[in-house]
Amino acid sequence: MAVKPRETKVKLAVNLAGLEMKNPVTVASGTFAAGREYSDFVDVASLGAVTTKGVSLNGWEGNASPRIAETPSGMLNSIGLQNPGVAHLREHELPWLREVGATTIVNVSGHSFGEYVDVIKALDGTGMVDAYEVNISCPNVDAGGMTIGTDPKSVEQVVGMCRQATKLPLIVKLTPNVTDISEIARAAEAAGADALSLINTLLGMAVDARTRRPQLARVVGGLSGPAVKPVALRLVWETSKAVKVPLLGMGGIYNGTDAVEFMLAGATAVAVGTANFGNPTATVDVIDGIIDYCEQQGVEDVNELIGALEC
Amino acid sequence: MPQLLNEKARIVANEKVGPRLHLMRLESPQIASSVKPGQFVHMKVPAAESHVLRRPFSVYASDVDRGAVEILYQEVGSLTRIMPSIAEGDVEMIGPVGNTWAGPERFKEGSCTRALVVGGGVGAAPLFMLTEQLIGAGCATDVVLGAQTKDALVTLGRYTQLLGSEPAVATDDGSYGHAGFCTALVEERLREGSLADGGAYDYLAVCGPEPLMRIVASIAADAGVPCQVSMEKRMACGVGACLSCVVDTTSGKKRSCVDGPIFDANEVVW
Repeated sequence: MAVKPRETKVKLAVNLAGLEMKNPVTVASGTFAAGREYSDFVDVASLGAVTTKGVSLNGWEGNASPRIAETPSGMLNSIGLQNPGVAHLREHELPWLREVGATTIVNVSGHSFGEYVDVIKALDGTGMVDAYEVNISCPNVDAGGMTIGTDPKSVEQVVGMCRQATKLPLIVKLTPNVTDISEIARAAEAAGADALSLINTLLGMAVDARTRRPQLARVVGGLSGPAVKPVALRLVWETSKAVKVPLLGMGGIYNGTDAVEFMLAGATAVAVGTANFGNPTATVDVIDGIIDYCEQQGVEDVNELIGALEC
Repeated sequence: MPQLLNEKARIVANEKVGPRLHLMRLESPQIASSVKPGQFVHMKVPAAESHVLRRPFSVYASDVDRGAVEILYQEVGSLTRIMPSIAEGDVEMIGPVGNTWAGPERFKEGSCTRALVVGGGVGAAPLFMLTEQLIGAGCATDVVLGAQTKDALVTLGRYTQLLGSEPAVATDDGSYGHAGFCTALVEERLREGSLADGGAYDYLAVCGPEPLMRIVASIAADAGVPCQVSMEKRMACGVGACLSCVVDTTSGKKRSCVDGPIFDANEVVW
């Protein structure tokens, strides 16, 4: 049976650079498909937004198996943005999200600058997208993804091109695998990003000592889960001081307190990712946990929490 | 797709039945009443907070009257190694996940008359309910079991009871039955035909280590017998969302969790 957040007097709505969210909780791209797979467990329309799995212009096969490895308090993945292409999303997934009344953020991927723009063009004007999240941070592809998001000039160029292609809120997803995230964040902001989301996964690896082989077919992959939360919090806090645009924070969020911590560090909204795998109702549990916190702390509006860290 | 449940189940038994092999019985009425042969549960193992992923376990047996399911598990990694120490208590399980063996559809058409079921190691578990179903449908069913040692033949008693006679058995160390891999017994059966009447098999189901399934699939293909396999891949969500558990097939990558775990053997790209 699909659950939804409990009733409360706390004002939960946030505005992420023009994207109206009924509460501050969405999902991390790639952990939730386009919502339908989780609809037996949660009412996806009750979430702040559903962020869809990264989509490219044409289908991608993704990487060889094994694609995941569990690590202490976390996991590595190297799925490699497997997806059936933007036409499939437009014809089969987005109409369903509209039908159930979900707020929809589409995560946009590409092998080249032009492909990001082509994906946006294939969706813009359909009325089925509420915001785009531009993925320039996937560590699991050889072209596009993180290769773009680690170079300020490339960031500025691709974000600028996407900006020209749409008037909808444009969120740019940043990689933590850089020396100075402020520099990348400012480049995205200067090129017209309305909001920034962070963090994508941390590049890592796992080895099977017995077989002397890497645990992932691609050798390296992206680390997520509770293990990355302190790193994610630090990067959200640093980024919030570097830019004026609002932030969508993520990285190891498992409960309401985790979510509140990200908001205090400067996030306007948050995303739940790996937690969905261990607990299919994690998204609603996080929203309920935020409500619990606000009621206990006498917080009437979650917007009071954004950047309210005292230090 | 049928609705998935995230059911709170109660562990009522968790006992060692062989070397690194354990039988867990769980009160899980909703899953017990809806599970089909070959499907699995995706379990959040309790008292293991540093393990962020659930683990898939095939359902070995379902007792609808008592609302219970059984899983047979082997200690293979750091999480399954702590499972034997879990006392009675509650666990969360998503289920029943996945498709079912094609067997039943074939009986409706009356096209399955002789079946061969091949289970290697704990792979014998997800075949037990299929074997019950095959026999119930009047299909002459023969079973081949393989294990490393005699002690590890933990499903032998139940299969013997179900069949009314002992299945063909192979152990790697020769401590019981045929000495060597069970593939030799599969070849023998396909050569000689059904124990009932010597007729050719028209369905073969195999579950076990991937190399075993690959070899059995190849033997079945050579003999012209339709064959199905149950694939297990490392899995994260267990609901079809994350694309971790994909299997390479002739029609692209498919999810072993919800597109499988049962695949036609000739569809799998090994």
